[in-house]
Amino acid sequence: MSGSKPDILWSPHHPDRYVICDSELGLYSIGPVGSTETKPGTLSLSEETAATLLAINSDTPYMKCVAWYPKHEPECLLAVGQANGRVVLTSLGQNHNSTCKELVGKEFVPKHARQCNTLAWNPVDSNLLAAGLDKHRADFSVLIWDISSKFAPETSVAAEKIRLSSVDLDSSTVVTKPLYELGQNDACLSLCWLLRDTKLLLAGMHRNLAIFDLRNTSQKTFVNTKAIQGVTVDPHFPDRVASFFEGQVAIWDLRKFEKPVLTLTEQPKPLTKVAWCPTRTGLLATLTRDSNIIRLYDMQHTPTPIGDETEPTIIERSVQPCDSQIGSFAWHPSSQNRMVVVSAANRVMTDFTVFERISLAWSSTASFMWACGRHLYSCVEDEAEGTDGAAEKDIATKMRERAQSRYGHDTVQVWRNHLLAGGISHMKQCSEDAELKLQGNKQFVVYSGIKNIVKTSSGTTESRRCWSGSDRQTDVTRFQSDERCLALRLCGWISRGPDIDVETFLRSLEQEREWERAAAIALFNLDIRRAIQILSKGAVTEKGDLNLNVVAMALSGYTDEKSSLWREMCSSLRLQLKNPYLCVMFAFLTSEPGAYDGVLYESKVAVRDRVAFACMFLSDAQLPRYIDKLTAEMKEAGNLEGILLTGLTKDGVDLMESYVDRTGDVQTASFCMLKGSPGDVLKDPRVQCWIENYRNLLDAWRFWHKRAEFDILRGKLDPSSKPLAQVFVSCNFCGKSISYSCSAMPHQGRGFSQYGVSGSPTKSKVTSCPGCRKPLPRCALCLMNMGTPVSSCSGTGKSDEKMDLTRENKLAQFNNWFTWCHNCRHGGHAGHMLSWFRDHTECPVSACACKCMQLDTTGNLVPADSS
Amino acid sequence: MDLQILDHRLRVTSISKNGLVNYTHPLIKLIFLRNRTRCKFFSLTETPENYTVVLDEEGFKELAPSEHLQVESSIWLPLNVASNGNASSSSQAVGVTKIAKSVIAPLAQQHVSVFMLSTYQTDFILVREKDLSVVISTLNEEFNIFKEVEGEYVPVGCQDFTNGLLKNGKEVVQPTVHPVLIPQNQFCVMSLDPDTLPSIATTLIDVLFYSNSPKKESESSTGQDLECIKFFSFSLIDGYISIVMDTEAQRRFPADLLFTSSSGELWRMVRIGGQPLGFDECGIVAQISQPLADGDISAYYISTFSFDHALVPEEDIVSVTDMLHHQRNEPSTT
Repeated sequence: MSGSKPDILWSPHHPDRYVICDSELGLYSIGPVGSTETKPGTLSLSEETAATLLAINSDTPYMKCVAWYPKHEPECLLAVGQANGRVVLTSLGQNHNSTCKELVGKEFVPKHARQCNTLAWNPVDSNLLAAGLDKHRADFSVLIWDISSKFAPETSVAAEKIRLSSVDLDSSTVVTKPLYELGQNDACLSLCWLLRDTKLLLAGMHRNLAIFDLRNTSQKTFVNTKAIQGVTVDPHFPDRVASFFEGQVAIWDLRKFEKPVLTLTEQPKPLTKVAWCPTRTGLLATLTRDSNIIRLYDMQHTPTPIGDETEPTIIERSVQPCDSQIGSFAWHPSSQNRMVVVSAANRVMTDFTVFERISLAWSSTASFMWACGRHLYSCVEDEAEGTDGAAEKDIATKMRERAQSRYGHDTVQVWRNHLLAGGISHMKQCSEDAELKLQGNKQFVVYSGIKNIVKTSSGTTESRRCWSGSDRQTDVTRFQSDERCLALRLCGWISRGPDIDVETFLRSLEQEREWERAAAIALFNLDIRRAIQILSKGAVTEKGDLNLNVVAMALSGYTDEKSSLWREMCSSLRLQLKNPYLCVMFAFLTSEPGAYDGVLYESKVAVRDRVAFACMFLSDAQLPRYIDKLTAEMKEAGNLEGILLTGLTKDGVDLMESYVDRTGDVQTASFCMLKGSPGDVLKDPRVQCWIENYRNLLDAWRFWHKRAEFDILRGKLDPSSKPLAQVFVSCNFCGKSISYSCSAMPHQGRGFSQYGVSGSPTKSKVTSCPGCRKPLPRCALCLMNMGTPVSSCSGTGKSDEKMDLTRENKLAQFNNWFTWCHNCRHGGHAGHMLSWFRDHTECPVSACACKCMQLDTTGNLVPADSS
Repeated sequence: MDLQILDHRLRVTSISKNGLVNYTHPLIKLIFLRNRTRCKFFSLTETPENYTVVLDEEGFKELAPSEHLQVESSIWLPLNVASNGNASSSSQAVGVTKIAKSVIAPLAQQHVSVFMLSTYQTDFILVREKDLSVVISTLNEEFNIFKEVEGEYVPVGCQDFTNGLLKNGKEVVQPTVHPVLIPQNQFCVMSLDPDTLPSIATTLIDVLFYSNSPKKESESSTGQDLECIKFFSFSLIDGYISIVMDTEAQRRFPADLLFTSSSGELWRMVRIGGQPLGFDECGIVAQISQPLADGDISAYYISTFSFDHALVPEEDIVSVTDMLHHQRNEPSTT
């Protein structure tokens, strides 16, 4: 090209050939490095590929533009547009006896010389070559030459006053009469044939884009714009065209040609080349002057711009194929996303493949897909087979499983489910907590948590008790009050009743084979004998640990003598015991009265056991301090065991917040908070957020029935969350709601009696508007007036506004509901419609061709929960 | 047909022959260093009397005022006629002839003074900015009028110019018939790839600035007996170069760089005006272009600060001469 600006053209049919044109034409062949390494003169293009120069053609000076013949034969025929407007056919690397021999050397000369800006071969009628020229006052700027035409001097000499003085015409190879002349007194800067119809030529003229139709050359469609350079049709969308002006690219839709459908962000430097990727839809590459990057615009997801005024999504990114400044680039015609880049100076070439963006998507059910180029990968979570697999499961999977097993709806059973699913032992604690709360008569106090309960503690009595079964006085002080008693109950140690009796609890622990824990609790209740008995029982049962006997032996040697060997050994050796309960037992026995840090801060011991212990043995001064400290610790860790301390208060929300932060388990959080929280806690935005997120999650899983169940439960537990009716069916005539169950019900009833029309209880259905008595529309299928079975409903509705919509006293079965298409307004009973559209796509009303069901985007979705 | 009002605000200036030395620097900058100026419209025409420089306001800033620089006080706007693709195959004639009837004559009737500038690429009709409303109301029946605003054409309606047909506030005067001069030199109208401009730079500078030898003769003789006159025009408008020169000068340039029509036409000049024409008189272009249009003869037309110049095809010069002589004798006979 003029100066040093090179250009590249890929052969349309040889995937390994390309031509570089700067001051001359160079034909290169590209191949893998290995196959060409022996030959001298190969140029490395990338790590894998290298190019070999096959031929050079420097016959045509002042080249301005080049275009490659689009058909297979003759191959490697190039049209070169020159600075003086002549178009010359030339060839590279061909034998002289090849088929294009008679074409090579042919020249097409315009009447008035001026620069040839662009060339375009017709992709179908390949003997047509369009040339775009600069402006001349009297001449045309778009000339379409027929390369097969012969020079006919006798017809043109007289008419055009040819003067052969300045140009020596070799009459056999020079053509001066174009087939078509278009665009008089204008300049043409770029051209392309439209793929939609090969008689149409799109030209970037001076200040406008014009479409010429060869069948009627006096007509043209045009639009005034500055963006007239480099017009190019998207090979994947024949109606999409890109053009540019200085730094700005405009994208046009030929169906809506009045203005660009979009313009891309303007670049500070003028653009030099814009090209659609031939192997990937909607990918446009642009190059600006003096730049070493190629900017890519991905319009794949841009909606078809007909009548759409919304801002389209274009993903913009840059690639840097080489370090030097890029002169030009060309997409490979078939190899995916591949291009060759030539540097602005020294003809350094680079073979480069644009890496496809990876897009990924999570499904709502834990599977995962990603796409790269033409590959689509899917990744599904393995069904964990191992024993610990369940514990490893993602929280979303866990929540899904739990939701399927009615988690949260039945207090006891469901907490167990959770236990099974996650093995989180502390949830059991929570469940018991909840159970107690339901029993508790002083509900508010119970919900407020042990932390608040012990704060209000008063009238504490101290007592020193004997070890049971012996008369030896202990030096352990035990504290008692109503509040402490309640706390013990919350911890599950004792059941209802005035007595502080842990025997029931111990038995249940024995049944569950929690020998160590039972023994420890027995010991804390100052019953060493019972503890020893539990331990030895544990040792003899099947799979029992024989070591328990040893522990029992050690225990039986208890002495309260401060300096005994037993005490010394136990306090040091206890730390080696693996079971935390055994460990705290000896800690308790060996500690000084009132100083039980060994028990209280043993984090492996369940919180409720530690709290219960604290309630028994810490003084009024020590207890709140300990509880506060423990609460803070639990909150910090997001440990659900701490709910026992905080209750479902603001503190509890804090704790739950850190739990949700840690685990993402909004399900548990929603249910816990719903179960027993007072209104103001439920109104906490965090709580509302968890609940909404859980509902969204259920929706995303298509657990619509579960969502509905949850909403019902939520409505029961938190009446303020009940949504108001937002949709009513209104009468065509009077515009009033025809519903009986809406809040206007009492008024409706009064209306009946006012008009003296007694709502006949024998009438099974109301098929007319209760307001104006006009009939309701007919079902398109059964031709009956639609309506609601009225019977007793209006009566109950009057008396009981907050009617419970259980299955029996619903107004109507779903099958009798009103449905209609929002498009054609036809409709009928829901059941009839559903069965009709099972077999049909069109509206049941004759002569209505509305495809109602297809318009319903959610109509084809199926709930994932089948309940 | 479309009429485009281009987005250039032009000044018409003249540099005296003796003062040229003071202006060589800005002129060379405007001609050769396109990237250093923001001037988009530049035309330099050398005549025996002076150098006429037509340029936009950006370019005008480069010219320092001095006694050697005469400036016409108005702002001129260039108009351009676009045929809109509808080729009128009936007429082979091009240039000012094509627009004589549709533009030049109506404007002359409305007493709008025009300054013509033909180039290789097109014909520019310069009108004063203050006359624009008259121009629009005169021409909007024949043309779709567009105004170029930041590179895009915006349609102009006539409703903005209600009092357009004001006859430009001037009395109707019988147009003066000016004497004409037909020198012997043959001219050619050429163009050039702007990228190759540097390669002809020295020749161009030589022709433009060191051509003072034939000056004396031409000054002394304005009579009809003159053999040749010095005339050289160079314009660089929106990136397009156009050069009008006689065959004498053309021989000094390398042949392969300059473009012209493949038929290699040559042109003869008709200079209009015995004494400087000034800028206010109207109808001058019309009185030449109308008979040419009647005879379907192509013409270029280049106005300069002092005189107007029409270029007609060499083979038609005899009929043109006859026609002009007839026109000049006719008023005397009536």
